[in-house]
Amino acid sequence: MASTSFTNSAYDDNKRPFSMSSLRGTPSSPHTPQHHLRSNNSSFASTTSSTSFRGEEDAIIFELGARWLRAGFEGESAPMCVVGCGPEECRRVGDYRGWLKTNNPDTDPAQSRPLVNPEDWASAYELWKMDLRGADLGLVEDKIERVFRETYNKYLLTDAGTSRLVLVLPAIMPHPLLSAMLSTLFSRWRFPSITLLTSATMAATAAGVRSALVVDIGWAETVVTGVYEYREIAIKRSTRAMKALLQETGRMLTCIPTARRGVVSQSAPGDSGISVRFEFCEEVASRFLWCRPRESSSSADLQQQQQEPQPNDSETEPTTQHPPLSSLSQRTVEIPSPSNPGSTYINLPFSTLSEPVESVLFAAGTADCELDDEEKPLPLLIYNALLTLPPDARGTCMSRIIFTGGGANIPGIRQRILADVAALVAEHGWSPVRGKVIEQRRKLANLRISPSSQVQASPQNPAPPLTTDPSEEHHPVPSNDTPTETKSPEPSTHQPEPKPDSATETPKQQQQQQQQKIPEDPPKTSDEEDLEDPIEQKIRRNNRDRDRDALPPSIQGVLREVESLGPWAGASLTTSLKIRGLVEIEREKYLQHGLAGATRDYETQGHHIPDRRSGLRAGGGGDRSSWTLAGWG
Amino acid sequence: MSRPFPYAYISCPCANTPVPDPSKKRRSRESPQKASSHHPDQPKPPPRFDDSEDEQTFDPRAPRSNFSLYPPEHLLYCEDCHQIKCPRCITEEIVCWYCPNCLFETPSSMVKSEGNRCARNCFNCPACTAPLAVNTLENVVRGGTSQQGPWVLSCGYCMWSTLDIGIKFDKPTNIRTQLAKLTATDTNPSRSRQMSRTFADLKSPLSTFSSIDEQFPPAPGEARPDDSPDQSNGPLSPDARFHALKSFYKTQISATSSSPSDPLGVDFGAGFSSPGALNRIMSLYTSSSRLSSLYGGASKKPKTKPPVMREALTASEGFKTPAADAEAVLIQRMAADECGWDGLASLEQRVFQSPDARFVEELLPLATLLRTKRAKRCKSCKHILVKPEQKPQSTRFRIRLIALSYIPLPTLRPLVPPPAAGVTSGSAPGMNLDALPPLRPTQLLLTLKNHMFDPVRITLATPSVTPGRVASKVTILCPQFDIGANSDVWDEALQGNTTAAGAAVAGGGTGSNATADQRSSRSGAAPATATTAAPGGHLGMFEKVAEAGKVWDKGRNWTTVVLEVVPGTLPPGSSGVTLQSRNQAPRTAHSKTTGNDSESDSDTSSFGGQAPDWTGQAAEMQQQQQQQQQQLQPDEDVLEIPVFVRMEWDSENQIDRPGVSAAGEMVKRELAYWMVLGVGRIDPSVLS
Repeated sequence: MASTSFTNSAYDDNKRPFSMSSLRGTPSSPHTPQHHLRSNNSSFASTTSSTSFRGEEDAIIFELGARWLRAGFEGESAPMCVVGCGPEECRRVGDYRGWLKTNNPDTDPAQSRPLVNPEDWASAYELWKMDLRGADLGLVEDKIERVFRETYNKYLLTDAGTSRLVLVLPAIMPHPLLSAMLSTLFSRWRFPSITLLTSATMAATAAGVRSALVVDIGWAETVVTGVYEYREIAIKRSTRAMKALLQETGRMLTCIPTARRGVVSQSAPGDSGISVRFEFCEEVASRFLWCRPRESSSSADLQQQQQEPQPNDSETEPTTQHPPLSSLSQRTVEIPSPSNPGSTYINLPFSTLSEPVESVLFAAGTADCELDDEEKPLPLLIYNALLTLPPDARGTCMSRIIFTGGGANIPGIRQRILADVAALVAEHGWSPVRGKVIEQRRKLANLRISPSSQVQASPQNPAPPLTTDPSEEHHPVPSNDTPTETKSPEPSTHQPEPKPDSATETPKQQQQQQQQKIPEDPPKTSDEEDLEDPIEQKIRRNNRDRDRDALPPSIQGVLREVESLGPWAGASLTTSLKIRGLVEIEREKYLQHGLAGATRDYETQGHHIPDRRSGLRAGGGGDRSSWTLAGWG
Repeated sequence: MSRPFPYAYISCPCANTPVPDPSKKRRSRESPQKASSHHPDQPKPPPRFDDSEDEQTFDPRAPRSNFSLYPPEHLLYCEDCHQIKCPRCITEEIVCWYCPNCLFETPSSMVKSEGNRCARNCFNCPACTAPLAVNTLENVVRGGTSQQGPWVLSCGYCMWSTLDIGIKFDKPTNIRTQLAKLTATDTNPSRSRQMSRTFADLKSPLSTFSSIDEQFPPAPGEARPDDSPDQSNGPLSPDARFHALKSFYKTQISATSSSPSDPLGVDFGAGFSSPGALNRIMSLYTSSSRLSSLYGGASKKPKTKPPVMREALTASEGFKTPAADAEAVLIQRMAADECGWDGLASLEQRVFQSPDARFVEELLPLATLLRTKRAKRCKSCKHILVKPEQKPQSTRFRIRLIALSYIPLPTLRPLVPPPAAGVTSGSAPGMNLDALPPLRPTQLLLTLKNHMFDPVRITLATPSVTPGRVASKVTILCPQFDIGANSDVWDEALQGNTTAAGAAVAGGGTGSNATADQRSSRSGAAPATATTAAPGGHLGMFEKVAEAGKVWDKGRNWTTVVLEVVPGTLPPGSSGVTLQSRNQAPRTAHSKTTGNDSESDSDTSSFGGQAPDWTGQAAEMQQQQQQQQQQLQPDEDVLEIPVFVRMEWDSENQIDRPGVSAAGEMVKRELAYWMVLGVGRIDPSVLS
C-alpha cells in the first residue's frame, strides 16, 4: 500500500513546512506531501499514515540466523536487541548456574577441560543446522518459542502476536525447518500474518542500491548472492565461514602450550579436539582476529608476475606492504590464558591472530586442486559468483559488493577479499576456462594487444578472444592489468601507476583512487554512457526534472565495496515504506494447509518488491486468495 | 545442579502436545500438488512417534525437557481447563511499563518512541552494566548559592564515567536527550575525545527525521559541489544513514509513481487526483480487480513497465562506500599498545551498542531498559490467570492462580540411616548429596503437601531404572496414598503434637527443607507445622524402618513416602560399556517400543516408517558413539528421577454453569503430570 497518496496532487506546496518541490524540481504532476513526520509511535501511525486504512500497528521484524536473532520495530534504524540461543539460553527455568562463578564446571579453572569434538563444541550454540538429518525439530521449535517469548518480554515490550511479523531469512531454508518455525509462531501467538524477506535483498536495500553482490560471511556458510534489480539471480556458497573460523581459532588456542598443561595433542590439527571454552574463543575471535592485507609475494601473484609483463609493479608492492605489516607482525598482544581465563594472561604475537582467517577463509596453504566445490575460498567464491552473472549484471554487481554477516566485522577482510578478487580477475579475466594452453594463448594475446592502445579506444571493437565480455571493456582492473591500462581512453591518469613514484601506494589505495577516478573522468563517463544500462537511462530520462549534473553517474565495472546497514535495517526500511513482501503468509491460510498450501506459480505476482502503485492492486495477487513461498517454495 | 540438591521440577503437560503442523493434514489427504511432486508409490513419511509420547518415560536428560521443566513455583493453574499452565501455554498482556531503576511508569504511548528505555536519568554502565549516577565535576559554594559545574555519569562499580568518552552534561536533568544530541552529530571515531563539548553549541540536524529534509540541498541547481561522492565517507552515523535512505526511497517512490505513465494521472486528470479522492475510495471498496477493469485497462500497462527508481548515489542519500584505510586504521588501533584486551569491547558490551563500536572508548552509556508488568491468560480458554496491580511500586496481584495452590508441593530429603547418622544427627547431615556413592541403596523421603481444601489421592509411578547411560534403580515403597485436605489451621493446632515427629526431620535433618516449606507454603498452615514441630525433637526417627507398601509419615495435609534409590555407576573413562549416548537414548527407545507394538498387527508399516531414517541415524549413531561414548556429558552424573504423578480428588463444582448443576455437586477430577526429582550428583571418584 505504498503510494496511493503519493500520486496525488498538492496545491499548497508553499504552505508545507518543507518544500518538496525543491527536491524534485518541477514535478510532472501534483503530489501529496509525504509523511516525513511520521513517527515510530504506533499510536500516531494510524492517524498520520494515510496509506493504512485500519489502525495497523507497526510490524515487528525478526532477522533469524543460525546463531543470532535480531528483533525490533519497523522504521527503526537498528534492531532493539540481538539474542543468541546458546546453552545458557537453553537451560531450565530456575537454573541460574550461568551466574554462579563457583562450583561451576564451565568456569572453574581447577578442572582441566577435556578435548571436545569441534562439531559438538559449536553445535550447542546453533539455533539450527542446515543438515536436518540429525536435528530434533521439536527442539528447534522449543528454542524458537522461548527466544521469541523472551524477546517480546524483555526487549520489545509489546504484546506478542498483535501486530504483523516480518521475518528476514536466508534465501534457502529447509522446508521442515521453515514449517516448524511458522507452525510454532502461528500456533503459539496470534500473528495476523507473517511476511518473509530474503536477507540478501534486504542488505542491498539497506545500502541504497538495486543491484549488488551480497557477500554474507555467516555462521555455517558464506553465501555470495548476486542481486540484480532486487532479484537474486545467482547464489554461491562455501563452508568457509565463521563456524569453521571459530573452530580453527579454538584449535589454535588449544594448541598454545600453556593451554593444556603438559598434554600435547599428537593428532593432526585438522581433527583434533578443542579444549577451550566456546565463549572464550568467540570473545578472542571477535576482539582480536584480523586479516592481513594482500601480499603480492603469495603464490598466486607469482604466477601473475610470470604471466604479465609488469615487473616494476610487483617489485614495488612488497615495499608498499611492509610498513604497516612489519610494524604489526612484531607486536604482541595479551589475551587471557586459554586454560585459565580468569587470572592469567599470555602473550601472543599479533600476527598469529590473523592465521585462522588466512587458513580458513582464504584457504592459505591448501592447493586449489584439493578444494572441494563446497569449500572454495572466499575470493574465488566471489569471482565464481560474478562469473556466473550475465556480463551486464556483472558489471553492475561488481561495483556494489556488500559485506554482511559476522565475518564482515573482521578488520581487513573486506579490502583483502576485494584485492584478491581483483587479482583473480587480472589473472584469468572473465573466463572459466583454465589450463596451460589457455594461459599461453592469453599471454600471446596480451602481447599482441598491449602496444596498440588505439585499437582499444572504442569499446565496441571486437575484443580479443578471452575478453569478449562487454563488462571487461569498461573494467579498469585495480591490480594494474596492462591490457586494461592501455584500454583507458585517458592514459594520463592511469599512467602514473606503474611509475616508481607511486611506490608508496598500496593496491587498495590505487583501487580506491580508481573508484573515484571514474566519476571525475568525463571522457570515460561518456564512453560508459553508450554502454549504460537501459534501465539506468530510463531512470535518468524520467528524472530529468532533477539536475543531472548534481548526481554522480552510477559506477559500473570496477570492484567497489558498498556499505550496507544490514538485512535487518533493510527490512525495516522496506516495511516502513509499506512495501509488502511477496511472501506474505496469512494466519488462517497457513493454519489450513501449512506450507503445502502455497502456490508454486509465484511468477504471476510480480517481482520482489511488488507493485509499489498498489492503490489498485490489479490482477495478479489481487485479493491474495493464494499465497506463495516464492523463492522458498 | 541447577538448584541446590535435592530439588523438584514439574514438567508441564503441554510438552506432550507437539506443535500441530498444518501441512500434515494436507499431506495425508495427498493433494494433487503434492502428488505431482512426490512419486505416488513412495511410502508416506513416517508417522512421528511423538504421538505415543505420553506412554513413554519422561527423560529429564533429553534436550527438549529443558524447555518443559519448571520449578513448581513458576507454574500457574487454570481453573477452567483444570490444567497446569507453564509460560508456554499462556498469553501475556502488558499492564504497565516502568523503569526498574526509578520505578516511574511510562505511558504506553511513549514507550516505543523512547526506544523501550527510560527517558530520564537512568543509565547503565556500558562496561559493567551497573547503574550510573549523575555526578557533578565541581561543586563550589559561593555565598549561599552553590555553583555546580558540568555533570557526568559515573559508575560506582567499575569507575567508568562519561569523561572517558569525553562527554559532559550541562544540566543534571534530562540526560537522555542531552546525550542523544551529543552523540547524533559525531559518531566518527576520529573525533578528539578529550575535547569537551557543551550541549549548547551542538546542533543535531540528523537526530530527528523531519530535519533531514532541511539538510538536503535547498534547490537542485544550487547543489554544492562537495555533495558529490567524494564526501561519501562523511560522518553519517548508521542512524542518520538509515533516515537518509528512508527519505531517499520515499522521494523516489513518489517521483516514480507520479511519472506520466501513471494510470491515474492520465486517466482521471488532475481533478481526480487530489489527495483524498478517488484513489483512496477505490482502494477502500475494491480489493479485487473489478473496479479497476471498470476504470480502464490502463492499469495493466504499468504492470509490464513498472517505473524504476534510481539508486542512492550520494552520501546525503545514505549511500556509503567505506574509506580505503578504514580497516587498516582499525587493525593499527587493535594492535596498539594502549588498546590491548581490555581496550576492545567484549561481545556482551557490544550487544546494545552501535554496530561500529569496537573499542571500549566507543561505548556509550545505555539508558535502562524498561520492564513490564504483565497479565497472563490461559492460552486455550483465555481466562485470566495472573493480573498484577497497575502501579509499578505495588507488588500485589488482583488475580494470581499459581499451581502450587492446586498441585501438591513435592519436597525431597534424604533419610539418614540411623546408625550412620551418628550421635548428633541434627548438626551433621549424614549424606553428601553432591557425591552419592554409586551402587549403594539410598533412602529418600518424598513429602507431598496438599494445598487444596479437598483430600487428594495420589498415585506415583517411576521407571524402575532411570533413563540414560547412568542407570539408577528406583523403587517407590508406597506408590499410592492419600493426602488430607488443607483444612483450617486451628484444626491441626488442636490435634496436638502427634504429627510433629515427621515434620521434625524436616526441621532437623536438612535445614533447607524447612525453609523451603516455609517459603512455598501459602496456606499458613505449613509454617505452623514446621515451627511447632522443630523443637519437637527426633523422637520417632530412630525406631522407624521403611517398609514397602506403607506410608512413612502423614500429617494433616501432607504425606511422606520413602523412595529407595540405587545410584548407577558412571561410565568408566574410555572403554565403552554403555553404547547409547545421551541423545540417542530416547530415539532408540522409541523405535524399539514401536517395533514391538506393531509387530503383532503390521510389520511392514512400521518397517517402512523406519527405513528412510535408518542410514542417517546409523551413521550418526556411529559417529556419536565414537565421540561421546567416553566422555561424561555435563550433568550426566546428576541423579534425576522422573516420577509420574497422578492425583484424583472430588471437588465441588465451582464453575457455575447456568442450569447444568447446582453448586454443591461433587465432581471427580484428576490431574497427571511428570515430575523430576533431582537427588544429587553421583560420586565420580568411585568407579566400578
